[in-house]
Parts: sequence; structure tokens; C-alpha cells
Amino acid sequence: MKKWLCSVVAIVMTVTLLSACGSGNKEEAGGSASSGSGKKQLNILMESVPDTDIVKKEIAKFTKETGIAVNIEAVNYSAMHEKLVPQLVNSSSSYDLIVVDNYWVGEFTSAGWLEPLDTFIQRDKFDTSVYLKSMFDMVGQVDGTTYMLPFYNYAMSLIYRKDVFEDADLKSKYQAEFGREMKIPDTLEEYVNISKFITKQKGDKMYGSVMMGLRPDPISVEWLNYLYSSGGDIYGKDGKPVINNESGIKALDLYIDNMNNAAPKGSAGFGFDEAFNVFAQGNAASFITYNWMLAKLNNESESKVAGKVDIASVPGGTSLNGGWGWAIPKNAEDKEASWKFLKWIESFDIAKDRALQGGSPTRKDVFADDDVLGQYQYYVKVQKVIDESRMIPIISEAPQLIEILGRELSEAVSGGKTSKDALDTVAKEVQDLK
Amino acid sequence: MLSQKRKQFLIFFVPSVLLLLLTVVYPLLYSLVMSFTSSSLKIKGMGSFIGFDNYIRVFKDAYFLKSAWTTVIFTVIVVTLEFLFGLIVAILLNRITYGKKVFFTIIIVPMLITPVAVGLIWRLLLHPDLGIINYMLSLVGIEGQAWLGDAKWAMITVVLVDIWHQVPFMILLLLAGLVSLPVEPYEAAEIDGANRLQTFWNVTLPLMKATIVVAVLFRVITAFKTYDLIYVLTKGGPGTTTEVISYHIYKQAYTFLDTGYASALSYVLLLVVLMLSAVFVKVSRGKA
Repeated sequence: MKKWLCSVVAIVMTVTLLSACGSGNKEEAGGSASSGSGKKQLNILMESVPDTDIVKKEIAKFTKETGIAVNIEAVNYSAMHEKLVPQLVNSSSSYDLIVVDNYWVGEFTSAGWLEPLDTFIQRDKFDTSVYLKSMFDMVGQVDGTTYMLPFYNYAMSLIYRKDVFEDADLKSKYQAEFGREMKIPDTLEEYVNISKFITKQKGDKMYGSVMMGLRPDPISVEWLNYLYSSGGDIYGKDGKPVINNESGIKALDLYIDNMNNAAPKGSAGFGFDEAFNVFAQGNAASFITYNWMLAKLNNESESKVAGKVDIASVPGGTSLNGGWGWAIPKNAEDKEASWKFLKWIESFDIAKDRALQGGSPTRKDVFADDDVLGQYQYYVKVQKVIDESRMIPIISEAPQLIEILGRELSEAVSGGKTSKDALDTVAKEVQDLK
Repeated sequence: MLSQKRKQFLIFFVPSVLLLLLTVVYPLLYSLVMSFTSSSLKIKGMGSFIGFDNYIRVFKDAYFLKSAWTTVIFTVIVVTLEFLFGLIVAILLNRITYGKKVFFTIIIVPMLITPVAVGLIWRLLLHPDLGIINYMLSLVGIEGQAWLGDAKWAMITVVLVDIWHQVPFMILLLLAGLVSLPVEPYEAAEIDGANRLQTFWNVTLPLMKATIVVAVLFRVITAFKTYDLIYVLTKGGPGTTTEVISYHIYKQAYTFLDTGYASALSYVLLLVVLMLSAVFVKVSRGKA
């Protein structure tokens, strides 16, 4: 009687302990692979996203050409920053190449963690003018020094259901109620209006838009589209916060209106996956999200609405730009080998090949390529979105900025604070950051 | 020549002490030193010594104070409910004769799942639009809630998930206590004509006191440190309604990279937990 209980306790304890050990070991596994001189293997830390999978498919070619093996460690976004920082602070890094999210750029460059690439670029005559300007300004050069080559873009855009926005019944009802045509909106006011109208008409079968209100990144990046498209900004020209001016408050009021009256119940707690699933299941008419989601949503194995989805600029025109850049850590062992790979993976042929497999381009010549355009006609629109988008300010405290912004936006959305109070708090706290 | 005892001492004791020193004592001391410095992940080395500045900052940090209050509420609610529920189930399990092992095995399963997996599973189940819970509720005519997306419900939801995850621990400990109770006091109580409630109140509870104190103390400490569930379920939102101390500390260390301040916060948390433990130990020794 007592015996079996005892043994159960013992087993439970052991299993718990073992599982803890197991997860601990995994963390360590990535680092120790590199040793010996004359780099035979490059270690790269990347995020587990489609573009990384595409790079993985290409590396066999590189190994064949150069004899250098490439080991890609792909981890979740949330684990990347805390994995990278200790590596970059150390005197040597176990990563030969890293990818840098645009909102780490300020932090990484001001801390001096990234190797300037200008001498490599000049020596090998690598042409950086082929990159879209908004991409190169964001994940390429900082104050005239090139630290990164733009890897892929994730500018945000409006993704919408063609069949809903062309629905004759909805269109005629909208015309009758508001006296104007229901079409892809040009302004945020009209967008929120249409979004609420669709939810009112269709109830919980079809929401006008699905939103992501989870702290800190999802809500921050989504709302920044509203802010930029309303003509607002985080910092003014003089570097003082202007986020709590009239445009900012208007943007937040519209955001809350859409969240409360059009988006599915519980959107205030949605992360990216939850929101994506609502759209992919066919329960939402629009979604402000990364432009490369269009390919995923038009893929029948991942979405129920394949073929019914299209892309447009965020209403109001200025969306949030985003992108990743390749960089070589200053403490990397063999920078020559790292650059060799970087130069190769970003060459026109490989960049084009990646784009053809569904990667998000950053080079103008890839965007303009006939084969690429033949396969992805909508890249014309994507290029326009990127050209007109704006990035999160490059400051070394961008992750902190996002945290503060996310917290206060979530307060405002959940009714804990008024829009003005929330944005005043943001302004006060981000002033100290810069 | 080493005696047999000496050998055993060296083989079993020394390695474990070394391991403890390395994995527990060293980090503890390191972070204690760190809590008096301006240490940050952004700079090499320790940063400069700044005395008690970090500790003074702790008590001026409005977000910390709010998260402390949230943690207290969370801990009180989950531990109370888990204790009551755990005790009831343990007593029931102790009484039945058939199928005990089957019930026990099923009940223990949640405890074997890591908190992050628990959080992810519940996020799926609780999805207001696509999740199975609101669907089930709609079948019986109850309107589903927004759960984690609603400031009024978020805390309750986190509490419910935590109860689901942690009740087995309570049951396990309390049942172990019940099983090992002596039979004589019960026989005596029966002879004296005590009814069931009286027996429970005057025999079972006093005998169980030590077990109960340990079980509740363990849970209070782990509930105070709850981090994974919050991280996966709500990230402290909506607003700051579910932001607990450990999550706040995590952000100071890994978002704000302020390891000196985060260490100071951790030490304040450690002190509180130590004081709680002392109180519990005192209570258990008091009248037992």
C-alpha cells in the first residue's frame, strides 16, 4: 500500500528531474560544434521562419563549391535575443554569422558587436546599391557604416479576403447605409468603419478584421501601422517624443474601436499564431500583418482560404517596415569565411533562387526580375509597400521601447487607462530611453 | 588507511557538496554581489559598485509594487483552492478500495507536463474563436468568454490553468500523509463515539498538520515564483492585470538587460520567500 505510493513519488521526482536536465542540455548543444583553425564549418543563428528554411536548402551548394560546411541553428524568435547577447558580449562567439532583427540594430551597433563590412564590400566590389533604400537604411548601414546586408523583408501590409470585399450583397448594403462604395479603404477611419460593418452584418461567422493584442510585440507592431498611417510618429524631428500628440491619440482610439467592435472576442490576448489561425480558418475579412504571410495564406496546405486572399497597402499608406540583416559578429573566429558565405548567399543568383522558392526579397533587381514577377505578380504591390513603409526608430533601447509601448497599449485596450493617459506614460518613459 | 565510513563519506558526500556549491551557492553569491552593482548584459564584467541604489529603486518601482500585489493575490487564491481541492480528492482516494491506482495515475498526469507545454495547450483550448472550450460551452447554451483577452477574466483563467496543473502535487503529498497515518487514534475515536466530522476535525487534521504545512509551503513558494505560465499565457496582459513578480524580474534582466537591478529584485523575492518559510516552520512546530 505505502510501497506503491512511495515508488510513484520516486518515479515522478525522477522524471521531473530528468526532463529538466534534458531541456538544459539542449540549450548547450548548439555552441560547442566549432573548433579548430581554418574554418571548415560556419555556425549561424537564425529564426525558425520560412526564409530560413529556404536558406537551409541552398547551403548544400555552398558546401560543394567551397568545402565549408554550414550549420544553421534555427530557434524561436523569443529565444533569439537572450541567446545572442551573451554570445556577443563574450570575447569569442560560437556564431560566425548572425541575423539581426531591425529593432536590435541600434543596440548591436552602438555596443560595437557587429563587424563593419565596408572593407570587404570595397575589396570584392559587392554592389550594395541594388538593395531597396528603405531596407538598406534599416538593416544595412547605420550612420554611413555598413554593418549588415539586408536578408529579407517583413514590411507589414493589409491582407484581405477578395471574396468578402467583392461580395455584392455586402457592397449594396454598405452603399445603402453609408452612401459610398465599399472598397479597399484609403484611410484608417474608413477601414475601421468597413471592418465594424462586416462584423455587424456577419456576426461571429466573419469578423471585419482579426487583430493581435498580446503584449509586448504583437500589439506594438500592429498599432505602429495605425500610428504611422495617421501621420504620427514616436519621436519628433528634435528627438522629443510626439507619440502622445493628436495623431497618436486618434490612432489609438481607432485601434481600440476596431478591437472592441470588429475583431473577434479575445483579440486583446491574441499573439500572432492565434490571429493567423482565425484568418486562415476563413473567419476574418482582413488582417494587418507581414506581407510574406500572403504566400502562406494562399497555400492550400496551411489555409482554408487559399486563392481568396490578396494584399494592399495599410489604409493610410504608411505601414511598419521590418526586416532582418545578415551580420558578422565582431568576435567571430574567421570573418573571411563568414564574409565568403555572406557574399555568396546575397549574390543575385542565389537571392533570386531564394525569392523563387518564396523568400522575401530585399534587392531591387530581384523584385524586377521577370521570372520572379512571373511567379509572384503581387510583388509589384509589395515593393510599393516597402518603399512607403517606415521603421521603428534605430535606437539602442528599441526592445525596451516595444516593451513599454506594448504594456501601455494593452492597458488602453483593456480599459485600464484612457488613450491619452496611456500615450502620455509612453512619452514620459521613452523620453528617458533615447 | 581510510576507514569504510570515511570512504563512504568521500564517495557520496563530497561530490554532492561540490555540485551544490557549483550550481546553487556560486550563482547565489554571484547574484548577491551583482545586486550591488550597475551590472548589465550590455557591458563586459560586473559594472561599478553602487551600494544599495538597486534596493532603493526596488521600492520606488511602481510596476514592481503592483506586480508584488498581483503575485500575493494569485498565490493566496491558487494555494487555497488547490489545498482544499487536493485535500478533498486525497481523502476520497484514500477511502476507495477499487481502482485507486487507475484514478491516481490519471490525476497525476498534468504534473508530469512542463509548464510551458501546459500553457501552450491551454492557449489552444482557450482560443475564444477556435478553441474547444468555448465550443463546448456553446453546446450547453453558455456564452463563451474571451478568457485571456479580457482584463476581468485573465487572472481567473490563469488561476484555473494553474489549479489544473498543480492540484496533483497537493493530492500526491496529502495522500502520502493520509496513507501513513496510524490506525489507533481512529479506533479510539470510534470507541469514544465520535462522528465522522469530529474524527476528521480532531484526529485527521492534527495528525496531518506536518504534511499540510509542507504541502502548503511548497506550493506557496512555487506559486510565488510562477513565471512560465504567465510568460506563455498572457505576457502579463491585458494591461498589467497578470504581471507577477517573476515575470517583472525576467523583463528587467532580459528585455532591459539590467542584471544588477534584476538581481536586487530577485533577492527581495528570496527574502520574502525565506520569511514565509520561517513562519510556516514556526507554525508547524508551535502546537504539534
